[in-house]
Amino acid sequence: MFEFTSENLAEFQKILQRYSIKRAALLPALWLVQKQTGFISREAMLYVAGLLDVAPAKVYEVVTFYTMFHQKPVGEYHIQVCRTLSCQLLGSPSITEHLKKRLGIGLGEITTDGRFSLVEVECLGSCGTGPMFQVNDEYHENLTIEKVDKILEELK
Amino acid sequence: MPTLTIDGIQVTVEPGTTLIEAAKQVGKSVPHFCYHKKLSIAGNCRMCLVEVEKMNKPVVSCQVTAAEGMVVKTDSEKVKNLRKNVLEFILINHPIDCPVCDQAGECKLQEYYMDHSIADSQMTEAKVHKPKRVDLGPLVVLDDERCVLCSRCIRFCDEITKTGELCFVNRGDHQTLTTFPGMKLDNLYSLNTVDICPVGALTNKDFRFACRVWFLKETPSICTGCATGCNITINHYDDKIYRYLPRENEAVNQCWLCDEGRLSYKFVNDSSRLLRPKAKTNGQASFVAPTVAMEVLVSQVEKTKPQDIVLVGSALESNENNLALKKLADLLGVTHLYYSARIVPNPSHDDFLIKADKNPNRAGVEKLGFKPLLGAAPIHSKVCIILGGLSEAEQKALQPKASGHWVMLASNEGPDTQAADLIFPTATFAEQEGTFTNFQGRVQPFAKAFEPKGDTRPASQWIEELAVRLGFCHCEASQLLRSGSG
Amino acid sequence: MEQRLTKNFKVKDSHRLEVSRAQGGYQSLAKLFQMKPEEVINQVKEAGLRGRGGAGFAAGLKWSFIPKNSGKPVYLTVNADESEPGTFKDRYILELDPHLLIEGIIAACYAIGAHVSYVYIRGEFYFPMQRLQAAIEEAYQAGLLGKNILNSGFDLEVYIHRGAGAYICGEETALLESIEGKRGHPRLKPPYPAIVGLFGCPTIINNVETIASVPYIIQNGVQAYRAVGTQKSPGTKLFCVSGHVVRPGNYERPLGYPLKNLIFEDCGGIRGGKKLKAVIPGGSSTPILDANDVETVLLDYESMEAHGSMLGSGGVIVLDDTTNMVDALGNLARFYAHESCGQCSPCREGTGWAAKILDRMLSGEGRPKDLELLRSIADNMAGKTICVLADSLSMPIWSYMKKFRGEFEAYANPNH
Repeated sequence: MFEFTSENLAEFQKILQRYSIKRAALLPALWLVQKQTGFISREAMLYVAGLLDVAPAKVYEVVTFYTMFHQKPVGEYHIQVCRTLSCQLLGSPSITEHLKKRLGIGLGEITTDGRFSLVEVECLGSCGTGPMFQVNDEYHENLTIEKVDKILEELK
Repeated sequence: MPTLTIDGIQVTVEPGTTLIEAAKQVGKSVPHFCYHKKLSIAGNCRMCLVEVEKMNKPVVSCQVTAAEGMVVKTDSEKVKNLRKNVLEFILINHPIDCPVCDQAGECKLQEYYMDHSIADSQMTEAKVHKPKRVDLGPLVVLDDERCVLCSRCIRFCDEITKTGELCFVNRGDHQTLTTFPGMKLDNLYSLNTVDICPVGALTNKDFRFACRVWFLKETPSICTGCATGCNITINHYDDKIYRYLPRENEAVNQCWLCDEGRLSYKFVNDSSRLLRPKAKTNGQASFVAPTVAMEVLVSQVEKTKPQDIVLVGSALESNENNLALKKLADLLGVTHLYYSARIVPNPSHDDFLIKADKNPNRAGVEKLGFKPLLGAAPIHSKVCIILGGLSEAEQKALQPKASGHWVMLASNEGPDTQAADLIFPTATFAEQEGTFTNFQGRVQPFAKAFEPKGDTRPASQWIEELAVRLGFCHCEASQLLRSGSG
Repeated sequence: MEQRLTKNFKVKDSHRLEVSRAQGGYQSLAKLFQMKPEEVINQVKEAGLRGRGGAGFAAGLKWSFIPKNSGKPVYLTVNADESEPGTFKDRYILELDPHLLIEGIIAACYAIGAHVSYVYIRGEFYFPMQRLQAAIEEAYQAGLLGKNILNSGFDLEVYIHRGAGAYICGEETALLESIEGKRGHPRLKPPYPAIVGLFGCPTIINNVETIASVPYIIQNGVQAYRAVGTQKSPGTKLFCVSGHVVRPGNYERPLGYPLKNLIFEDCGGIRGGKKLKAVIPGGSSTPILDANDVETVLLDYESMEAHGSMLGSGGVIVLDDTTNMVDALGNLARFYAHESCGQCSPCREGTGWAAKILDRMLSGEGRPKDLELLRSIADNMAGKTICVLADSLSMPIWSYMKKFRGEFEAYANPNH
């Protein structure tokens, strides 16, 4: 079973007012779900489908389209390394390799303690300050190996 | 009304006509996967690209509407090349498993490939793998690797049934057709998705691996599942029905067919079919020769007064068979005319194609003057001739006197035929031609798919023979019997 | 040169309303509300402002497509889905001068008769989104948004709609689908959004930088706006420089500015004492320029076209002479394959196929036929789909293989 906390339900009701059709509140609703539980479970999709009067498949197709929606839990710190051209030119592959080594996990994996997960993502719009990664919602730019180590240290 | 030129042929079309439909009007079929005239325009397969003069890029003919003075080419070398290239893309991740694909022989991908390409694949990299043999619903199996992602089935469930079970997940060449996890494609019309799937991605569990499609013969007919009378094509081979496909009739079923109706053919192939007449002696039923059975019936009728005879028509039988019974009544002076109907508990029904009345010809039999047996006051008779079958309730309404004689003209053995003293095996609608009158009052003809087996014949022929044997002149009998469908 | 879009970027707390106002923020509204909406549209038309998202379509002309008296609500949707590799300008406007954007939104909505505006921000831009959200709240409190703005009688609601990770949602109709709660599948056109857009209503979609350029035009007039730039490409534009330069970053320059000056003067040239090899001038989809082109090309729509490329989004990616062009193209092919929405057959299959071929070449398994094959994939995708994502990979494939043929041939014949 999934349901919004009363706070999130109130937020959802507020969001609904912004749109002339209910379904438009789908992305915001999914963001609220992810804020509440860290990922979007099957039950949560059913719940949201009910709130918006759409078939569950219409929620599922959206969750699987957008890469930022997680269907499974990710690490407490979800590290997303930009792998697109500008960052690659400035050495993003070595940042990724270093992270793999330091965290002891591969791409798409979570450390056994659940603290870190690591993925590569496409361009994060931070090309002038590459290489860079995003930890949860926060950008870390102009990365060097030393800087990466320092960030990991602070997160631990 | 814009006038345009398509492949050198001038044509004037209704405003708003798409190029693909305009091309149809000049006899040109533009290859396509995603376009379906009953669904919204998706424009995603890019197979129906055509050249339009003065437009710098090829356009999809399913979307672009005809405009005055347009010059369209649907089969130039350039257009053929465009299609060949689109096909190449569609085929790179396709499993090319035609030998084991149920769609082989009626697959658009196969047909277009033969028409346009016949080139070896240039892709040597590993294909994208996707789920196979997915149990999509009670009646449908999905092979995602064969899917060309045209979205017809999704649009069908969104726009026609409005049940929305299907969706695409993921993106790019990983985009995949599926249902919500743990849910099924389970609606009253799910098998239409198989019809409109242009390839072998969606297959019909009932038909899967039953017969290669190139062996199938096609006979235009009418679904007998309910009072709607959806127009169908019977696909049959070797005197056996393999499937129904919807046949287009805008006024009745458009181009759709419900699942229940589609699977209602099975009684025709069933082992319960009666192939020889049966007669009861000392409570024991045994097969008898047709001539013997007819003699018994003739002697029974001859010794019975018209007021002690009851004739029961059937809402399941054609106008022609019911008319035969009606004419027999006229010849004999019988006035007790009733009809039986199929009644099922909690019948499915909706405001689209499915009627709660599960009889294909209630309107027809009523128009002939038969009255419903169900709800009629108890009827006493010495001879009762029954067309089709009887429900338990109808059996009760029809209490013959102890000495009475119960004669059935039936196609299948059932609880009702157990009670009969005499049974004449009849052809089903698939084995004869005739008409049904649907709930709208439309008289719709159906054709004979194959010959009746064994001693079976259309009920009207048994009745005609009875009339002749009773001394009515042959031509009088047959003319009466064939004078029309009412 | 006078900075128009970036003038507040270095001002402390420039994202706050009081700072913005102290710098002249929202002053254009007094003029705006004295004008008729048609006059605003005409002024933007005459200023020659072209869309800064990549396509360069005339903004005023686009606004004039909104049907008069359709009886339906009109929407302005601001495209802040900045995702084109090499582009990072809108993000800084959102972070450092969100009030400039809001001021522009008010002007644009007033011009087209919209009373609701959605700013579609890519999901990854969490910090810029927070900055804009705070600015919107400040603006509401100051009576700059909401009912009867500054007693003008004009009402406007502005909402943020957060994306969730999909490059394609920067395509304007995919963006509308995304707001409507669907997969970001671009729509068939026509109808164009100005006629049938968001929720089936007339809608204008403009890039953040485009909208942020409007207040200057209202405040200072057509002549002032056209005082810099070229006749056909007036005004200034943000150029985002990334890659192998000493000082990457955002540079506001007049259109027509020499690319060479941008790279070698403003950005301090190539880092590490290396030589310039090539430049991707307008975001990853634009055809590549070699060092010779860079000598003469100017940063405007016409000069870029004359050099076989496009101004695009202004995302300038600079590549030094150590760059492996096959690797660079492979990187972009993977990007486009990952971001293809999956709708049209040529794009869905072609982008993934091209990426696989390039990966194989890079792994040392190239074959002589690969170049012809890549070319045919590019040819067969381009111009055959609903949107231009496929073209966005075709253009790099054509141009990289043309300008750096030798490198590709070496990979296609690994045994030679």
